[in-house]
Amino acid sequence: MGKVKIKKKDTRIDMTAMSDVTVLLLTFFMLTSTFLQKEPVTVITPPSVSEEKVPDANLVSVLLSPEGRVFLAVTGSKDSTMKSETVRADLLKNMASLYNAAHPSNPVKFNNKQVETFSKMNAFGVPMNQMAKWLDMPTDERDKALEKAGIPINMNEDPNNLNEFQMWIRAAYNSVNPELQESMVKGRGIAIKADQTTPYSVASMVMDNLQTMKMNKFSLMTALKSEEE
Amino acid sequence: MAKTKSRQKKFDTRIDFTPMVDMNMLLITFFMLCTTMIKSQTLQIALPSNEKVEKEQQNKVKQSEALTIIIDGKVDDKGLSNPDDGMLYYFDGMPPSGEELKNLATSNPMKQIEFGNKTGGALPAVREILRERNKAVVEKIELLKKDWKDMKFSNNEEKNDSVYLAKAREIRNDSTLKRPVVIIKATPNASYAHVVSILDEMQINNISRYQIDRINAVDSAMMVLLQGENLKK
Repeated sequence: MGKVKIKKKDTRIDMTAMSDVTVLLLTFFMLTSTFLQKEPVTVITPPSVSEEKVPDANLVSVLLSPEGRVFLAVTGSKDSTMKSETVRADLLKNMASLYNAAHPSNPVKFNNKQVETFSKMNAFGVPMNQMAKWLDMPTDERDKALEKAGIPINMNEDPNNLNEFQMWIRAAYNSVNPELQESMVKGRGIAIKADQTTPYSVASMVMDNLQTMKMNKFSLMTALKSEEE
Repeated sequence: MAKTKSRQKKFDTRIDFTPMVDMNMLLITFFMLCTTMIKSQTLQIALPSNEKVEKEQQNKVKQSEALTIIIDGKVDDKGLSNPDDGMLYYFDGMPPSGEELKNLATSNPMKQIEFGNKTGGALPAVREILRERNKAVVEKIELLKKDWKDMKFSNNEEKNDSVYLAKAREIRNDSTLKRPVVIIKATPNASYAHVVSILDEMQINNISRYQIDRINAVDSAMMVLLQGENLKK
């Protein structure tokens, strides 16, 4: 008379299949993702039916807060011939020489470390005379400082006496990357990203600034809206 | 002795995958939260250049073809312009000049529509007006669209698209058709969203000739007069 043996069931589930699925998903996300870029101000762009996508290369995007603070972000070419880092480092040098020509009494100078830091920044927007100090800050302080800053801009209709914002655009136009210049001429190289609640006075100031520099073609960033018909 | 050899312990070759799954899930969550799937769209615009030569060309616009749209808005105490609040003014033809200016109070060509919320505001009304003005082009484009949907140009989808786009562009720029010239102006208080939505209407209605211009004294005078009239009522 043996005892009735209760068969012990194995409670472990085979996780192999699940692991397969997760690895697959992971691969998908890793390959398709473009990371959200950190931006100094959050804006909600107005909707439009335009289906043209923002180019992800050779672009100067002008980020505009509703109060009229301006930030810039510059990207290099798609392949690695002109990396964003190279373009940005060159941009800063160009900008410094433009700024120093306009302000000979108060020139700015950047050391290699500052240029390197700048080349890794996605968005920037501090007045040129504070730029060196800003680049020396630790990362978190830099982000905090950027939230309060902005590139100085004013109504300026004199193409021979550019303001700081226009100098940046000019510096980007003259950068080492010929593709960037080409796309700026075609109007695909400059994109204005502004919040939908921005008063037109603020938006038109940026547009007029570009117009003064004879950059009459540019694009406005919008969010997709489906056309109801 | 031989028996002990066969009793060798069997190793379980299965590996516990649970920690790996955990880790993968964590990574997936990270990537899902950090990615942007939707890319922004862009709207291409071209401003008129500041040079005087173009100013003269602008004046050559035929009176019957011009339509001026002026966007106005309100800025709240935070300095934001609410996209749900605003007024749209429009008038046909060239801005009044000379003698017409003196009689502006009695014969104001300007009309207004309130922007309001998304439904039943100014946008559907503007679309209606623009469609009416651009009827010749819109009708042709719609016929073309039908052919495009039926794949009449080519069985190859890509080729069909490109033929359609080329033909549509040709129609939009066809100077033998009656096409309006829309002049878009905005007051400093207008919201950016309104300006973009009006630019958007140009695309929807296939209007090829439009420009953004600055508001001038005559425009503001007409707006003030119109507001005065409305107050009286």
